[in-house]
Amino acid sequence: MKHPQFFLFATVAGLCAVVTASAADVKIIANESVGAASISADELKGVFLATKTSLSDGSHVVPVLEKGGPAHEAFLKDYLGKTDSALETYYRSLVFTGKASMPKTLGADAEVVAYVAKTKGAIGYVSADAATEGVKTLEMK
Amino acid sequence: MKTKSMLVAAALSLAPGLLNAQFDFTLFDKSFQIHSFASEGFAYSNDNNYLTMNTSQGSFAMTDGGVNISTQLTDKFRVGAQVYDSNVGQLGKWHPTLDWATADYRFKDWFGIRGGKVKTVMGLYNDTQDLAFLQTFALLPQSMYPLDMRSSTIAHEGGDIYGEVPLKRWGGLSYTAYAGQRQDSLYGGYPYLLHTFGISIQSYGGLVVGQDLRWRTPLKGLLVGASHMDEEITGTGTVELSVTHGPSFQGITPYWEKSNKDQTNQVYGQYTIGNLRVDTEYRRYWRDQEVFNGTAEVTTDVRTWYIAGAYRVSRRLELGSYYSRFSDNWRSTVPGQVEAPNQSDPSRHLYDKVVTARVDLTRYWNVKVEGHFMDGWAGTFYPDGFYQAANPNGIAPKTNMILVRTGWNF
Repeated sequence: MKHPQFFLFATVAGLCAVVTASAADVKIIANESVGAASISADELKGVFLATKTSLSDGSHVVPVLEKGGPAHEAFLKDYLGKTDSALETYYRSLVFTGKASMPKTLGADAEVVAYVAKTKGAIGYVSADAATEGVKTLEMK
Repeated sequence: MKTKSMLVAAALSLAPGLLNAQFDFTLFDKSFQIHSFASEGFAYSNDNNYLTMNTSQGSFAMTDGGVNISTQLTDKFRVGAQVYDSNVGQLGKWHPTLDWATADYRFKDWFGIRGGKVKTVMGLYNDTQDLAFLQTFALLPQSMYPLDMRSSTIAHEGGDIYGEVPLKRWGGLSYTAYAGQRQDSLYGGYPYLLHTFGISIQSYGGLVVGQDLRWRTPLKGLLVGASHMDEEITGTGTVELSVTHGPSFQGITPYWEKSNKDQTNQVYGQYTIGNLRVDTEYRRYWRDQEVFNGTAEVTTDVRTWYIAGAYRVSRRLELGSYYSRFSDNWRSTVPGQVEAPNQSDPSRHLYDKVVTARVDLTRYWNVKVEGHFMDGWAGTFYPDGFYQAANPNGIAPKTNMILVRTGWNF
């Protein structure tokens, strides 16, 4: 190996790219009825863990999830800190003790965008490059 | 009964393939959700019979299930109810119960009220202890969540106040405070135990007041909390004099017992990092009760703790292990009831080492294989899994048991 430093640098840089790319790969979208223009990471976590039902401006919000895929994985890792199975277990614990309903779960970005666009208070996440006509994109505080 | 259990087991095995999604419908412009769950277990022990099942011969008598319906009536108001049924050895006996039925109004995220029959929040898993599909283990640590005593803590008829208080960089607090009446199943471990003394319980329950506070700490994945519960419990029924006073006495007379002090304190912690979860809880339960119509007194000081770890190896496989300890100090003025002098005596403790593999066959169907290696049986005057009536030839000091449990939910 002629240039071991180069390969080491490339490996580290590649890992960093993977780690930092995940958060940037997701954008948070909301129905036009949601008054807030931005949301904090804590608020977002609260909404998707059913401990928070309104944002700081008073808007009532309802979470919408994706079934799987890169945006879903990145969202769970970066904002909720739970694995997919842990999140599902968490929701079921709420549903079967009477504390919450199972949130709407949809298959792809386009379905999430379409549902959020027509559902008052809906808030979801999609890939950063997904078309988001008819919904608003919330800035992360 | 064995045939019935086998049929249920067969039905459970078929059901997951037929049903794999929640059932939603709309009525009067409101969306309703229906969910259900069921589980079937097979337990085989080398010696003693455990949890009133005939485990020494191999027993399928471990079945439970529930179904619930709920709807969000407004942004802040939701209602729902769940029915639960079970048959575990001599417990439950297929008598369905209203598990919970609540109306819940959340004024703010930091303040909500719920009333009706409400699942009691205490420790990490009290309110979810029936829901085996949520758990890594086929049996939760029985020192903390005894299956034979579930109805004594599972729910109360009354009301809760609850909320979430964000602490910004210090994490967040969740609180629950409640008051109500508890009404125990007549097919639980304590009524079963009292049968040994000729007592047939017809009503058992009373006032319950408690609080739970848990803190999501700034350390990512770390949760700590504490619970406290005070109770005033009264039991009424009848007693057969021939059992309590000898064969020369005949007849049945009214019976009552009541607690003068009945208190539970519990602390707990949970740490999750990646696919690893570690739980630990400690509980002290103190009861001072008058029994046999006030003619005798029994004080019981039960101290329990466990530490459990679970690691999700892959999407399908999770491995877990726990060590659970139950020990008690008690004093009784009932003639003939004398405590062994040392905690090391098998009648004063029950320690359980457990290893588990959970396989998720589908998203809604799992199978668990679990080994229990138990030391002690903690006496026959307290409902702790080993009963004299289920072990008429005596109880050996150690028990090994394998438990296979399959669960399904949608």
